[in-house]
Amino acid sequence: MKDTGLHELSEKLIGTEIKAEVLHLFHMNPGILDTVDGIARRVGRMPKDVETEIQPLVELGVLRKERFGNLDVVSLNTSKDREIFKKVAALIEGAVKG
Amino acid sequence: MRAPTGISELDTMLHGGLMRGDVTLVVGSAGTGKTTLALQYLINGATKFNENGLYITFEEMPAQIYRDAANFGWDVRKLEAEGKLRVVCTSPPVLVQFVEQRNPIDAMIAEINAKRIVIDSISHLESFIPASELRGELYRLINHLKMKGLTSVFTAESHEILGDRLVVTGVGLSFLVDCIILLRIVEIQSSLRKALTVLKIRGSDHDKRLREFEITPEEIKIGVPFKDLEGLLTGTPRRTGEERFAEAFAKAARKEK
Repeated sequence: MKDTGLHELSEKLIGTEIKAEVLHLFHMNPGILDTVDGIARRVGRMPKDVETEIQPLVELGVLRKERFGNLDVVSLNTSKDREIFKKVAALIEGAVKG
Repeated sequence: MRAPTGISELDTMLHGGLMRGDVTLVVGSAGTGKTTLALQYLINGATKFNENGLYITFEEMPAQIYRDAANFGWDVRKLEAEGKLRVVCTSPPVLVQFVEQRNPIDAMIAEINAKRIVIDSISHLESFIPASELRGELYRLINHLKMKGLTSVFTAESHEILGDRLVVTGVGLSFLVDCIILLRIVEIQSSLRKALTVLKIRGSDHDKRLREFEITPEEIKIGVPFKDLEGLLTGTPRRTGEERFAEAFAKAARKEK
């Protein structure tokens, strides 16, 4: 089986427990529009840990972080999320075939 | 002029529905059906009256809303996919920023052309905003919604489940909103039943009687007004004088025979 970036991408998406929890939270609840503090409470983690872990998801474009008044608000970028997951599916298919 | 809730008996009590552009407070203790009533108002708006809506929740996750709504046969995900409804899960500090320019909630309202909004529940703001600022912030929020032409429903928790002390909200919200619908648990003959009444509508007459209601597997069903009982709002009603007299008379008549 050859790895064509699948490992790197899955590491960015679900490389740690908290990242996987946050991503799962947004997939189950795409209408979440909240601060890091609010998201941390929803997954039962500490804000500083969530802050660090969501950064790669923001850089990847799956999550959006916007300044809203005096708060940073995080939400799911649904179109980018769909695009990334199609890419993951294609990479898995390629890796299995390859 | 009116935004019907689609709950026919409630619309009759309101003389046609909520006043368009107004803010209605649905207040009740835990388990009285505030969320169900508010959600039904939005679902009916989207499916029966071509009025799209936004549901803002703080504690309940959208996944929970989808599941609970599905129990009534309401497919919230489908309505979201059709652009008729949006469920937003956020925190009170984010909602307060809602009045800022170019915010994502306003963008969603514009995107689906929302005419209705539910904030469930406004009581959560009390734990995030200092008491001295709460009334002012609520006033700002209410006016923001009105400027957008939305017909809004706020839910609020009343801490008293039963008892004769009825506090609608602690910050004078009842003066800021235009309409108040009260949901109450009442104990009648050792069973807990639900009562609904319209406490006020600014600028309109309404049915002032207390009616029993139940949450059926399909929707909220409001029944006829309670009869022969008084003190219902205390949660422990007693029979009216006429009813007591009628019973004593019937008892005496039975003895006579």
